[in-house]
Amino acid sequence: MNAKKHPYGILSVLLLILVMMAFISLGIGAVYTSPVEVFTNLIGKSLSNHFILFNYRIPRMLLAVIVGASLAVSGAILQGILKNPLASPDVIGVTKGSGLFAVAVLIIFPGASMMALPFSAFLGAAVIAIALMLFSYTQGTKTHSLALIGVALGAICQAGIQYFMIKFPDNVNTTLLWLTGSLWGRGWNEMWFLIPCLVLIPLIIIFTSKLDILNLGDEMAVGLGERIKYVRYTLLSISVILTGASVAVVGSIGFIGLISPHIGRRLIGSRSKFLLPVSALIGSLFLLLADTVGRGVVPPIEIPAGIVTAIIGAPYFLYLLRREQKNK
Amino acid sequence: MKTRRKLKIGSVMAILSILLVLAGCGAKQDSTNEKSSNKQKVAVKHELGTTKVPENPKRIVVLELSFVDALHGLGIKPVGIADDNKKDMIEQLVNGKMKYTSVGTRQQPNLEVISSLKPDLIIADVQRHKAIYKDLQQIAPTIELNSRESTYEENIDAFKTIATATGKDKKAEERLNKHEETIAKLKKEVKEENGQTILPAVVRDTSFQAHTSASYDGGFLEKLGFKDAVQSKDAYAEMNLEQLSDINPDILILANNEGKLLTDEWKSNPLWKNLKAVKNHKVFVVDRNLWTRFRGVVSSEAIGKDTVKLLHDQQK
Amino acid sequence: MNIKKQRTSRYIIGFIGVFLLIAGIFIHVSVGSSSISITDVIRALFHPDNSKQTTIIQTLRLPRAVLAALIGASLAVAGALMQAITRNSLASPQVFGVNAGASLAIVVATILFPELHSKTTVYFSFLGSALGGITVYLFAAGGKVTHIKLALAGMAVHLFLSSLTQGVIVLNEDATDVLYWLVGSINGKNWSHVLVLLPWSVFGLLAAFIMGRSISILVLGENMATGLGEKVQWIRLVAGVIVIILAGSSVAVAGPIGFIGLMVPHIARKLVGGDYQRILPFSALLGGILLVYADILSRFIAYPFESPVGIVTALIGAPFFLYLARKGRKIKQ
Repeated sequence: MNAKKHPYGILSVLLLILVMMAFISLGIGAVYTSPVEVFTNLIGKSLSNHFILFNYRIPRMLLAVIVGASLAVSGAILQGILKNPLASPDVIGVTKGSGLFAVAVLIIFPGASMMALPFSAFLGAAVIAIALMLFSYTQGTKTHSLALIGVALGAICQAGIQYFMIKFPDNVNTTLLWLTGSLWGRGWNEMWFLIPCLVLIPLIIIFTSKLDILNLGDEMAVGLGERIKYVRYTLLSISVILTGASVAVVGSIGFIGLISPHIGRRLIGSRSKFLLPVSALIGSLFLLLADTVGRGVVPPIEIPAGIVTAIIGAPYFLYLLRREQKNK
Repeated sequence: MKTRRKLKIGSVMAILSILLVLAGCGAKQDSTNEKSSNKQKVAVKHELGTTKVPENPKRIVVLELSFVDALHGLGIKPVGIADDNKKDMIEQLVNGKMKYTSVGTRQQPNLEVISSLKPDLIIADVQRHKAIYKDLQQIAPTIELNSRESTYEENIDAFKTIATATGKDKKAEERLNKHEETIAKLKKEVKEENGQTILPAVVRDTSFQAHTSASYDGGFLEKLGFKDAVQSKDAYAEMNLEQLSDINPDILILANNEGKLLTDEWKSNPLWKNLKAVKNHKVFVVDRNLWTRFRGVVSSEAIGKDTVKLLHDQQK
Repeated sequence: MNIKKQRTSRYIIGFIGVFLLIAGIFIHVSVGSSSISITDVIRALFHPDNSKQTTIIQTLRLPRAVLAALIGASLAVAGALMQAITRNSLASPQVFGVNAGASLAIVVATILFPELHSKTTVYFSFLGSALGGITVYLFAAGGKVTHIKLALAGMAVHLFLSSLTQGVIVLNEDATDVLYWLVGSINGKNWSHVLVLLPWSVFGLLAAFIMGRSISILVLGENMATGLGEKVQWIRLVAGVIVIILAGSSVAVAGPIGFIGLMVPHIARKLVGGDYQRILPFSALLGGILLVYADILSRFIAYPFESPVGIVTALIGAPFFLYLARKGRKIKQ
């Protein structure tokens, strides 16, 4: 396809769209801010909606961009490691593990400081990843086992979450809302948790050659001298950190890690060198769009971004997969 | 060659993102609202500490229904209410039309709208809104009180705190005295049923949730001389038909949800038909908003009047 | 000699199974928010009087126990059929999105038409479970239907449908009922529910048992089956319809109770071998036993309050799923 011959072109177009979308999203919300107002605010001349812009819209926009990119990259990595186009942090149980630990803290220690939540999300993601590696160790880290075991672990976490909700029913609503994933009430304070993402994403994009070698197949890669297990585990850890940080900030938003790499692959092919940055941009766009729509459709009510990603993501995913079936 | 290009793109993105974050942090500092410091402040103690509230606040935003009730009792109109987008519910609460701006759901009030109203006081629920306390403080002085899980006594305390915050201590005292008188009068009117067991409950599609002596309506009904059929530390108790028939209250008050009800299925069961309350025709269906959502000095009097009416109508 | 031994051992297993089921039902009836002794239970059933206890047993507890047995049987057989058609040991109404599709359809129906009775919501449930199942089948069917592909496709569809369900419910304030629709429960069900389920379950179970022989042949391999004169596509279609009926009606009455369809066929296969004429009825028996005992356990999670039985099946079933994932075997003949 033509697109595949101009990867840098695609990257630039996507970046441009992202910037435009970001700008538009700054204007949308319960209090509509015209683009002119947004612009004058940004260049430093304060106007009436300065407070809203700088305290709510801008941090939310940045959070959406970073979390979207993190989840997308995490998904792309997982799909590369597991060689399965359906792999993603949601499906492999990492998101659920994060959710489980965070919910446990939310419910069992309601008095805990707001710091406890992100750390438990990280911890949950890490525990799942370690469990994944442990359980698949005996199988020799064959890619098949990892995926399947991940699904099973996710099912266990899901059961755990439901158990907590049953035992502590007073908090069901808050818990469910948190689990659905949303950017409501998130601001500059949450930005700190995303610092690992800010560091990791550019890094991984630079070192995408490692991922491509994995794609060649275990036997060939071994022949090329790479220490397969080491590379795979490192990449898995990166994926986990990205997911853990994202869940810590926005709760368990789904489909971004699943769909963004798919769209990326359709635009630009499977070479990780371009797939990762393109997926990241698409992920950012996706979450930004979801959050903006959620904010702007029925103000002052906000639809959680996680619901919008599900509504957009589900049918689109079905469409994608049917196309893949047809092409086979 | 290509690696250098990648490195360039990668580093540019990293730098851009860090720059944006720094810009944001910088902007954050100069965007904290400067309040006019020439106004007198009142120190108000609430569930999350003490907040300095300007005297006689004119623009108040409330994020729970019991606060609307409290302000109504004090004769104050809030400029913003978290009303779950149900304007008629608020009109029912204040028994009339009222102009205000909706700030969204009580679960997730819209911070943008709140800030655009430029309030000088925000009253929030400590159970629902603890997480956004800091964000609310950034907009205006905020006090967080017990609403959602409050007992009758806690609700009265919250009423008093709100009175202090709005400078209406005197009015509050008068109102509370009137309240006591009303309760005494109502208690006399149900003198015959004094000591009987009463059970308020919220009925849904798959659950029957009893309100115990620790709940708001349970506690209030006990003030009127009844005994809540379930004495407990927890405010709510899910029940099945067996447990209900064991408890067998004299009076049953059902606050029904919309749609299918669990009790519809129970009605054909002999266990239900043998309940004291059913046999004596003392099962009453009441408005769910009034009985379980509003909560407050004014609303409780309405609940009381409701109860009296239901019991006396039935006797005719 | 060996065959005779096998047959006797199977009969023994069968008898034990029936005994366990009946014992289970008795225990189920006696355990509850107030304990009723077994002797009282027996008296209530065989010499009913008008006492309150008898009423409780007859109108509340017994229907619930019967419902547990029926649903357990239906889901187990549905799972066995699915594992046979897809030749994948991980197939089950839950993994295939059948459960999730059914519950989404019901939630949507309840919101759009709040006054609907269970009798009518069953049809919505059928529609939902059909859509869910077909969607996953479409994904997993292209090329080799490997374990991973199926599991991932199923999990992906399950994720979509559950989060849509979750979203729809979260936007309505009353979330207490939510859990019951996400997890499956038989609390508070009575004879009217049994009556709704009974025709579909009985029909589905009988139809499945009749198909036992064809299924056994199908599992041998498509080519062999066609060679033996079986119309493979036809068998698959009919079996699929039976699955939808069994799973769909169960979800309509009790929500998406999971993992029964996954676990039971495996255990059944271990106990009675690979012939589906035996596996199917045995799965029904075993499924009934499992769900009855699971429901008994569910009373104790938040005693004295009841919990959804779906939690117990999930807490047992998810680790079992993990165990299966680690073994990663296909169906052995």
